[in-house]
Amino acid sequence: MKRLGLLPALVILFVLAGCTADNDGDATSTAINVTGTDTTCELSSTEAPTGTITFAVKNEGSDATEFYLYSEDGTRIIGEVENIGPGLTRSLVVQPDPGSYVTACKPGMTGDGIRGEFVVTGSR
Amino acid sequence: MFANFLIGLREGLEAALVVSILIAYLVKSGCRDQLARVWTGVGMAVAASLATGAILTFGPRGLSFEAQEAIGGFLSVVAVGFITWMIFWMARTARNMKGELEGRADAAVIAGGWSLAAVAAFAVGREGLETALFLWTATKAAGSTLEPLAGAAFGLATAAGLALLIHRGAVRIDLRRFFFATGALLILVAAGVLSYGIHDLQEARILPGLNAIAFDVSSTVAPSSWYGTLLKGTLNFSPRTTWLEMMAWFGYSIPVITVFVRRMRPERTSPARSAVPAGASRILP
Repeated sequence: MKRLGLLPALVILFVLAGCTADNDGDATSTAINVTGTDTTCELSSTEAPTGTITFAVKNEGSDATEFYLYSEDGTRIIGEVENIGPGLTRSLVVQPDPGSYVTACKPGMTGDGIRGEFVVTGSR
Repeated sequence: MFANFLIGLREGLEAALVVSILIAYLVKSGCRDQLARVWTGVGMAVAASLATGAILTFGPRGLSFEAQEAIGGFLSVVAVGFITWMIFWMARTARNMKGELEGRADAAVIAGGWSLAAVAAFAVGREGLETALFLWTATKAAGSTLEPLAGAAFGLATAAGLALLIHRGAVRIDLRRFFFATGALLILVAAGVLSYGIHDLQEARILPGLNAIAFDVSSTVAPSSWYGTLLKGTLNFSPRTTWLEMMAWFGYSIPVITVFVRRMRPERTSPARSAVPAGASRILP
């Protein structure tokens, strides 16, 4: 019984939890390249229009890193991608409302990280 | 290479630990025929994780941050439920087997049925999606560099190797000591999984209090260090723990340990049970 229930349960959970389309038709979709090292965190752009924003975070450092998108005051997590090992590129897909945000790379996966400002333009 | 190795090790360790204890238990109690169910559970979790991870990595759709955290958090809480069931199921069998030879446990008690598969599936599947996403990303990078994939694979293999060592040791030790040691260890593992799940749900903003930090020792126990990896990989120790996580940890472990210790030592409180047949006393510590 349980055997039959497990897999569908996972699938249903996954569907209910909601996928985000990378290309939503009418909505804008922006790709931002982020390059992190042990001491730096470079974004290809610090501004994006409202819609789906994909941060492709490449780790060129020697330690594992994480990438965060915070609310303007730096307390609320809008999105996070962890376990970005050296040499890897992992994506964070978010659909934030227009406004100001804070980005952070966290080499070594600890501390406040290397922070920067990020702006989402447009109206809701 | 080393950083990717540590990620693989961390993600694989806890699942390997739970599964190896489950297998050691079945082997010790003479229920090798149930092993297939455990492996079915492991196989299904691995397959489901890899498939979902592949769809999300290579397909046109990604998973929102909240959704991924919610899945991780929800699966963690369910996994805690199954691990707790496993702890008390083993404890019940331990009591039943008292005075009998190893391998002669009550068949009805042993019959964990498909719950065995579920324990294994959730123990593996809990962090399975995150691990699969990490592995597929490493595979994607394999065109330019093989190092991340090799590191990750080596880390997972090391986790499996450590589990095998634990399994070998566990199979050798005295049955009663085995139940006590593994039960206590599993309670700590489950408490860690619960607080980890709480953290995921806090990050997904389903639960509040992400910034109410109880303690932060991340400068001493760096998450990317090898000891930080081992602590995180086995007990889910988070160097930066929120109040809600800490409350969940104690709220789970204290009552569960209390009930567990009581169940494991019934003969001390009940005089009727102290009459152990002479022939059986040698298997008791």
